[in-house]
Amino acid sequence: MSKNLKNVVKALKKAGFGGVSAQEWRKSIVLSGQVKTWEDKIKAGYAAARKGYKGVVNDIEVPGSVTDAMSVPQVRDKALEGRHFDVVVIGGGVTGCAIIRELARFDLKVALLEKEEDVARHASSRNDGMIHDGFAASPGTKKAHYNVRGNAAYTQVCKELGVDFKRPGSMILFGHPLYRLAVPILIARARKNGLSEYRFVSQTQVNAMVPNVVPKHFGGFFLPSAGILSPFKLTIAFAENAVTNGAQVFFHTVVSGFDREHGKIIKIKTNRGDLSAGIVVNAAGIWSDKIAAHADDRFFSLHGRKGVDAILDLKTGQYQPIIMAMPPLVGGNKHTKGGGLITTPEGNLLVGPNAYETPFREEYSTRPEDIEQIMVHLHLNTKLSKADIITYFAGIRACTYEEDFVIEASETVENLVHVAGIQSPGLASAPAIAEDVAGIVTGLLKKKMDVKRNERFNPVRKANPELKGLDLKTRAELIRKNPAYGRIVCRCEEISEGEVIDALHSPVPATTLDGLKRRARVGAGRCQGGFCTPRVLEIMSKEMDVSMLEIKKKGENSEILLEETKGHVDYSNKKIKKTA
Amino acid sequence: MSQDKKWDVIVIGGGPAGMAAAVSAHDSGARVCIIEREERLGGILKQCIHDGFGLVKFEEKLTGPEYAGRFIQMVEERDIPVFLNSFLVELKKQGDDFTLTLVNSTESVFSLSSAAIVLAMGCRERTSKQIFIHGERPAGVINAGLAQYLINIQGYMPTKRCVILGSGDIGLIMARRLTLEGAEVEGVYEVLPEPSGLTRNIVQCLEDYRIPLHLSTTVTKVHGKNRVEGVTVSQVKDFRPVPGTERYIECDALILSVGLIPENDIIEPMRVAMDGKTRGPCVDQNMMTLVDGMFSCGNCLHVNDLVDYVSESGEIAGTHAARYAKSRDRKRELIPLKMSGDLMYVVPQQLDLSTGNQATIYFRSNRIYKKAVLRVFSDGTEHLTEKYRIIKPPEMERVSLDLSKVPPGTREVGIELKGTR
Repeated sequence: MSKNLKNVVKALKKAGFGGVSAQEWRKSIVLSGQVKTWEDKIKAGYAAARKGYKGVVNDIEVPGSVTDAMSVPQVRDKALEGRHFDVVVIGGGVTGCAIIRELARFDLKVALLEKEEDVARHASSRNDGMIHDGFAASPGTKKAHYNVRGNAAYTQVCKELGVDFKRPGSMILFGHPLYRLAVPILIARARKNGLSEYRFVSQTQVNAMVPNVVPKHFGGFFLPSAGILSPFKLTIAFAENAVTNGAQVFFHTVVSGFDREHGKIIKIKTNRGDLSAGIVVNAAGIWSDKIAAHADDRFFSLHGRKGVDAILDLKTGQYQPIIMAMPPLVGGNKHTKGGGLITTPEGNLLVGPNAYETPFREEYSTRPEDIEQIMVHLHLNTKLSKADIITYFAGIRACTYEEDFVIEASETVENLVHVAGIQSPGLASAPAIAEDVAGIVTGLLKKKMDVKRNERFNPVRKANPELKGLDLKTRAELIRKNPAYGRIVCRCEEISEGEVIDALHSPVPATTLDGLKRRARVGAGRCQGGFCTPRVLEIMSKEMDVSMLEIKKKGENSEILLEETKGHVDYSNKKIKKTA
Repeated sequence: MSQDKKWDVIVIGGGPAGMAAAVSAHDSGARVCIIEREERLGGILKQCIHDGFGLVKFEEKLTGPEYAGRFIQMVEERDIPVFLNSFLVELKKQGDDFTLTLVNSTESVFSLSSAAIVLAMGCRERTSKQIFIHGERPAGVINAGLAQYLINIQGYMPTKRCVILGSGDIGLIMARRLTLEGAEVEGVYEVLPEPSGLTRNIVQCLEDYRIPLHLSTTVTKVHGKNRVEGVTVSQVKDFRPVPGTERYIECDALILSVGLIPENDIIEPMRVAMDGKTRGPCVDQNMMTLVDGMFSCGNCLHVNDLVDYVSESGEIAGTHAARYAKSRDRKRELIPLKMSGDLMYVVPQQLDLSTGNQATIYFRSNRIYKKAVLRVFSDGTEHLTEKYRIIKPPEMERVSLDLSKVPPGTREVGIELKGTR
């Protein structure tokens, strides 16, 4: 028995999991056996982590524990049969979309396969949009490295992609005078992670920065580089810029397996036919361990950690100009920064998230206790109340037991690259991860072919106009050019028909009601679509040339209207007599 | 339409409150216009094809569109200008005047100004998340008012078998409407021990169609990922679900009628004094808010159960907005109308003694009482006493107070309801 294996067995025993067996497999450690609860399985996984192995593969069974299978599209066709691409990226989250945009800089045939009907359907639309400063990641980890690099890249990335990005900075608020003793430790960590800006701020300074801050605090540690953006708008922007530069995105396409020969993937099997690729990039989010398994390269396993965020009314953002949290002095959950308050570029305040382990990977229901847990942050600002909540949502983080990203070329499959375990701060890290992955991919390709730069690559994406924030003169000009910008459809968010139409005809267009919400914010406001839904359905029906009955909220089987009424008459082309 | 001229009164919203306000303002000699964000006048009445409107105002049983039609006719007869499809993006008070910035497709961005404004923006529905419903976010969780629009205006069914949560009037009306359209309404569930809608709606919409009403019961979870597959309901005690009483109901939609919220977001930046109970601005008996020249009426002032009272408050607001525009130098003598006892809320919250007119006071009790006595008094003098045989929160009551009876110099008028259960 190797020394590392001995250490794992010892650690498992110490944690109370003597019945769990551990075996070496290549450079990883595989756990098997049975435990009573899902929490125990996760604990055993962590007990075995960081004992000198490349990864923990946790195959422990939990009798009676229910989990979910990956949701797969119903479509079966041969649309991709026999197609060949230089690079196929699996997964249309922020990571996958950032990668295809980086790859579009090269003269390569690039395809992205996404099993859902849109990009950013899972973790990339289910997070708070924070571009972390890089302070929280453990020094020396990939997380710390990519976070700091990614954060720095965002100013330019967002400028190029036309994505609203703000750097309000993040405050770790001190709830006890003893925190101040920790300031030198905080500074040392910030330095270790390579942050360029960080400072202690006094109580008076905090009060000046956040006039409605909770009165009882003792100053804080401020990280000015922390930012905020819309994670789904960013993901869509990455995808759109990649598409306009030649990359292709295929929705409703799920990878069900690989054919391999001589240590190489020769065939990618999908529900839309079998295709081939020079390089396969595994950016499949919470399912990337499953994709790795298809290539017999599952050297890590993922587990889901759920979190819930609440969205507060648009009027609340003005009271919270910076990102703020007050972590507990001792204890707390070691796997999360514990959540806090963050104002989105649009002006909503987000509260949360919390964190707990879940056996599910795509199950996004919320619970009353989630709201109770995240509401503790409300007291940090005296202007906020529970009545300001307009909605809440859950997301699931894809965690490895090493609590770090997996970004590397496969050691056993010569044309496979893994980009896995990209949980927080994955969004903040995306531009840097994409840059390195593009480097790995082109490095591998260069062994087989000539890789040239794409001379026509244009990094600039012309974003659709958002009229609400514009000065009145520019707004008037736009309306004169396109009167549809003058017809307000969504009253809460002040979104015009023109903006809805734009989103339905973009390079990666909205195809569902939720897709429109992510792009144009219709239905994202305080009435949650109560008023605008009928009008938006009419616009979608006309622009997409489909019946109202075919329009979906999200994905398959999510139709909004089920049938016509008994005396249905189509008035859509009839003229209405105006009263003035 | 010229945008340069100044209006005496601008009415924001062309529903029943706004139209009544505009007609009254016009009849009181004001130059008035209406701004409306939708393509037709009528507000929510356009989709209320059931009858029962106008019993108080017209002594007739009208449908919503018919009731709206009466007012649309009055607006047209008076040639009151209406800016349709025009959306108010900013409201400001500069000096004595109000400036409104609007957007529409023909005039792009334009502004209007006036001496007085009447707020008549109506209300919106409380959503599933505002009452903390949990589960995923599938298609099929919709508000009753939205369901009503989809069915009555667009001609589409959002459900074949549904559960209705909340016994508010729209929910009750929709229970009947859905049944008539061939959908199955499994039941109406109400978290409170008493229904929130009008008794006549309970009888005519539920009992007549044998739709069960489950009181002290609520929906605790929505099931389904992409489309609603079912809901879990639980009995409720002290606002908490009672463990062990859960029941799973298969359905394709959850329709919510869980309360209405006055829409006052446009005045939020102006920091107008608001009533936490009504969620509308505090007003005097002339419907003037505590901002001089700003009037409020209808459902953005407080949520009414009958449209007739919506129009009535619009008439008061319109008449007095016109008067204000003519004689702005008059100073108000505001004193609080202070409520006590078993009241949920009172409108107006202030009385202006300088006008000495009749004040219509709207109020609701905080719960059902078999007997109740309402008193209005000041400095030991009783101005008004009214006895009620049965009084309940869903049914708004109103009394008329002769302000000439309130002596000058009075600091405060009290209003008290004493109920017996």
